Amino acid sequence: MGEKPVTELAGVGEVLGKRLEVAGFDKAYTVLGQFLVLKKDKELFQEWLKDTCNANSKQSADCYQCLKDWCDEFL
Amino acid sequence: MADQVDSMSDAELRTKLAEHGFPIMPITASTRKLLVKKLKLVLDNKSKPRTSVDNKADTRRTLARYSSGEESDLDTTTNAKEKRGRRATTGGAMLPPAANKTRRPPVKKGSPAKRDSDKGSESDEEKPVRTREEVETVTTRTIKRTYAANDQDDYETGSDSDVDGDKKTSSPFRSNSRSSDYISSTLPSVDVNISPPKTSVFSRASIIPTSYSSTYSSGMTSSDNLNSIRSRLGLTSSLADRPSIIPSSSYSSNYSTSTYQPSTSTIDEVESPYLSNFTRRLSTLKSDPPKPTSYLDRDTNNGSTVLPRRSYITGVNRSDVVDYKSATDKKFLKNNLVSLALVVLVALFFFCLFFMYIVKKNDITSVADDQNSVIPICQLNIPGNRPGINCVPKEQVSYAKDLLKVIHPELTSRIASYKCGQPGTLPYLTEREIIDIASAKAETADVSQCRTDLNNLQVLLINNPRWGLNVVQLKSLYTKDVEYSPISSTDLIVQQRTKGTVAITLTDPSTPLSCLFINTLYSAGSSLIIVALLTLLGLGLQRAYKYYVMYQKRKSEEIYSMVEQIIDVISQETEDSGEPYISVDHVRDTLISPQNREKMASVWDAAVKFIQRNESRVRMEVQSVDGEDCRVWRWISSHSSPKRSASWQGQAFETQEGSVNNLVVSPTPCLKIRHMFDKNDDNSLLRVKIQDAILEKCDTHCNILHIDIDRTSCCVYVKCASPADAGVVYRSLHGWWYEGRLITVKYLRLERYMQRFPASPAAGPYLTLTRTARRGTWRDE
Repeated sequence: MGEKPVTELAGVGEVLGKRLEVAGFDKAYTVLGQFLVLKKDKELFQEWLKDTCNANSKQSADCYQCLKDWCDEFL
Repeated sequence: MADQVDSMSDAELRTKLAEHGFPIMPITASTRKLLVKKLKLVLDNKSKPRTSVDNKADTRRTLARYSSGEESDLDTTTNAKEKRGRRATTGGAMLPPAANKTRRPPVKKGSPAKRDSDKGSESDEEKPVRTREEVETVTTRTIKRTYAANDQDDYETGSDSDVDGDKKTSSPFRSNSRSSDYISSTLPSVDVNISPPKTSVFSRASIIPTSYSSTYSSGMTSSDNLNSIRSRLGLTSSLADRPSIIPSSSYSSNYSTSTYQPSTSTIDEVESPYLSNFTRRLSTLKSDPPKPTSYLDRDTNNGSTVLPRRSYITGVNRSDVVDYKSATDKKFLKNNLVSLALVVLVALFFFCLFFMYIVKKNDITSVADDQNSVIPICQLNIPGNRPGINCVPKEQVSYAKDLLKVIHPELTSRIASYKCGQPGTLPYLTEREIIDIASAKAETADVSQCRTDLNNLQVLLINNPRWGLNVVQLKSLYTKDVEYSPISSTDLIVQQRTKGTVAITLTDPSTPLSCLFINTLYSAGSSLIIVALLTLLGLGLQRAYKYYVMYQKRKSEEIYSMVEQIIDVISQETEDSGEPYISVDHVRDTLISPQNREKMASVWDAAVKFIQRNESRVRMEVQSVDGEDCRVWRWISSHSSPKRSASWQGQAFETQEGSVNNLVVSPTPCLKIRHMFDKNDDNSLLRVKIQDAILEKCDTHCNILHIDIDRTSCCVYVKCASPADAGVVYRSLHGWWYEGRLITVKYLRLERYMQRFPASPAAGPYLTLTRTARRGTWRDE
């Protein structure tokens, strides 16, 4: 994870990355933080991502899966 | 509602979410919005199907079963309906305020359904009518509900005291109702009314049955039944509820008319026995203790003090229970009568069969004396009748039968011993033997008398195949063979009699048990032996197959090793001798020692065949060696021309003397070779490699002083000791393919060469192959 930008996340491209940065989530770890605050709840996280950066379900599912895998691996 | 959620504090929001079954999670600036949205969504969803949700308690209750909203819906509807039903039937005297307080969700805020408000108003009306005692009863009821058994006991006694009186007064009717109580119990109403207490969680569904006991309940009951049936059928709440409202409004007009009740003096009298039967039936049939009883009793006893509780156990009711139980037993018997009878019948049938089998056992005396036997009596006035041949004189029938009875046991024992395999016994009695036996038994030497009896007996036997004896014709009289064929007509007997080959045997000889046992043992033993033999055979076959497979494997291994040896020998010999072929026989003689040659012939042949088929490096051909044609193996491999490097791939055009490409005189000792390597070839050992290639090609015929390469122009510069040497190099390199490239050689003036390579030696040691090349393992890398 390190200091990677938010666009490194799966499902988050340039457009979504820009929107997330505007919302204050400029690094991947901030999104991870939000993911963890939402207790890894898939529904809520996807909802949040949709609200925050207007992600579609595919993108949000990708992002959720990405973070979930990372957590499963490293937490 | 939505505004409320928006303005909630974090803590409120959290509790609210928890109520709705969400995991408790931190509410931060970033998550709050999301959670608020979620909560709104949930609240919206919930308020749609349900009519009143805002009540805190209610919400919490449904929360407990958040996943199954449908079920909770059903609950509430049944609940409401029950309340209404009870209210209607009890005419406002029964609804306790306590129950109202605990159960009814206060209809204060939000959007209460229409029926809720209805209910509210009704209950309000009823309240003043209620007495304190009723309240008490209801509260106790609610408490006792958990102790089902106690409940039942208590309340039933209460009721029975009432019922008792009823029964005493209307005993004739009782018996009547008893006989018909099964019919009434089959009515759907009874069954259906049981259902509400079971399905609802905290409903007082059991209150419904009160309607039965109440004096003016008939109309109500029916409508109530209708309700319960509907709810039973799983109709939606609206459907189930609709009819329930009807009775509440119409009971006042209905209660006086007993539509379906028998015309007895008081409804009470009629109802109570019916009810008691009904409740008893419930208590016995249902595992769930029936609460209806209790309420019924309460209601019938309404206003009076509680009567002795134990009365149920004593007196008429008690016996009633016993009656009922015996009745159920009877009923069980009745229901299963057919199946039981079937079983008994089958058992009887088999028993009879067995018995008949036992009895049937050739009791010859009974058989012979049977009235149904066909006995051709000789009548003198019929000309065809000949005594002893096709008819029997009347007075001699008994003699013949006596003879039969005499010989039958002898015959049986004889056949038994024959069946047991005793040597020297025959399965029949010849005429001679029969006469001997008869005369011995009768102690009369009157052989002719015996003879006539025997003749008559034979006629009888032929006419009565049922007796189980056969007159047979022996195939050969004097051998020990037991071949015979039955005789079916009296005429044949006469022919055979003269030959003396007539005998009597049993049609269906039975083997004695011991013999049967021994025979079975014998056959079992023989089959065992056969099985053992077969097993042995199978095992042997398997062993043989295994051995065969092993043998094949060993042989093929031998062949392979032989092939390898042959190839080794061929390659070795051809290399050593310089001849490209070697005689087959020679190889064999080198490989196989003389004493093994005969033994290994098959292996050798197989190996030779294998090489012929599968070895590409060896070719079999016929050569004349020393004037004699013999088969030889020619070794075909890359080693066949060891002098030629793989790098030099052949000549493109002639450079021999006389060719246009050949200069007669070499002008200079220096040469420039083009296209020997690629511009992209960045091999660091390229110079050494090229030098080796050139030296190898020129093969020490020339003296080369210096070789160098120019990577930019892809040229190789060669300086020889003399122009003649340069000519040799020129001829051996010019126009050759080297590693897929055609190389060209040109002479170069010495001055130019010295200009380019001023350090090149003018004389001295000539270049030789490097160590790797000299070892012969030099290859194109």
